[in-house]
Amino acid sequence: MDKHLEEQFVEQLETNQNLIHKVCRLYTHDVDAHNDLFQEITIQLWKSYKNFRGDSKFSTWMYRVALNTAITLYRKSKRSIQTQEFDTVQFKIQASEYDDTEEQQLKEMYIAIRALNDIEKALVFLYLEDKSYKEISDTMGITEVNARVKMNRVKTKLRTILNP
Amino acid sequence: MDKLDLLKKDWNKGHQNFSKDDLYKMIHKKSSSIVKFLFYISVGELILWLGINSLQWFYSEEYKNKIETTFGDDSLMFVATIVSYAIIILFILLLYRSYQKISVTSNIKTLMENILNTRKIIKYYVSYNLIMLFVGLIYGFYVAIHNDPVLSEMFTHYNDQQTLKFLFVLGLVIAISLVCVWLFYKLIYGLLIQKLNKNYKELKAIE
Repeated sequence: MDKHLEEQFVEQLETNQNLIHKVCRLYTHDVDAHNDLFQEITIQLWKSYKNFRGDSKFSTWMYRVALNTAITLYRKSKRSIQTQEFDTVQFKIQASEYDDTEEQQLKEMYIAIRALNDIEKALVFLYLEDKSYKEISDTMGITEVNARVKMNRVKTKLRTILNP
Repeated sequence: MDKLDLLKKDWNKGHQNFSKDDLYKMIHKKSSSIVKFLFYISVGELILWLGINSLQWFYSEEYKNKIETTFGDDSLMFVATIVSYAIIILFILLLYRSYQKISVTSNIKTLMENILNTRKIIKYYVSYNLIMLFVGLIYGFYVAIHNDPVLSEMFTHYNDQQTLKFLFVLGLVIAISLVCVWLFYKLIYGLLIQKLNKNYKELKAIE
């Protein structure tokens, strides 16, 4: 594929990569798996980039591909062997920014989210991204009413996990 | 503050960054997507069964003559060959169409359905070939027993009941082998789309 397109893609990818990291954080438990999924998502993005005509926002297109890859297409590659647990790595960086209780609460939050199934994680992701129910229903392929009902259930489920 | 709100506040903070160089390298790596594996498997299937169907073209003249004397008029074989190739072409078209529908930018449910549909077509193709193989083998043995001089000589000493018993055991052995092949396929696809099946059920449960 032509060099210019590749440059343009990598540039946009670099600016927007946090979105992919966020998906990876929800769907993986350790650094190796995170990077492996990140890589698969970028490959899928690149493969479909030539068909991306900008009718939707770059980020909208991106989270769709990212979620589809995480939920459906991705198979763990052999090299993702469990090594460092995320919690020790991710949260060290933030330790100075938060007091202990906030840090602890966030940690619990991520652990609770990882206990959800893949579809529920997608709903949490879209909620955290502040997507409207219309967008959630378009992304998931379910009706708005069902999206709303399921979202409330997931939130309740999370609260129950956190405050048993 | 509600923990969910706390998480939302934390959510958009960047945690990790890859450089442009890393990203360049990444997009040229090989994908490990299940669609790629499904594609390889389906191409493998097509080639395998096409090969089995085409074996007859590689028989030696002597063997062809032997088959002709055993099976007699080969117009039935001819028709069967044409039909089997037509069916293979039909499956190739169906597979091609279903692969075209798989798009990583469709919504989650549609993507899952399109992949499951492709897998279904491969499943039908494999079932069709296994059934045809079963029928073909039974028919082949039946005709051979009647027309092959060595075999029919053997069967003149058998009474009807013994012949039936022989055919029954033969059918059973073939059926068991085919079921084993079938289970092998189930295992391959089971492992490949285990996660997809689970997630599809979860998504359907919302409705």
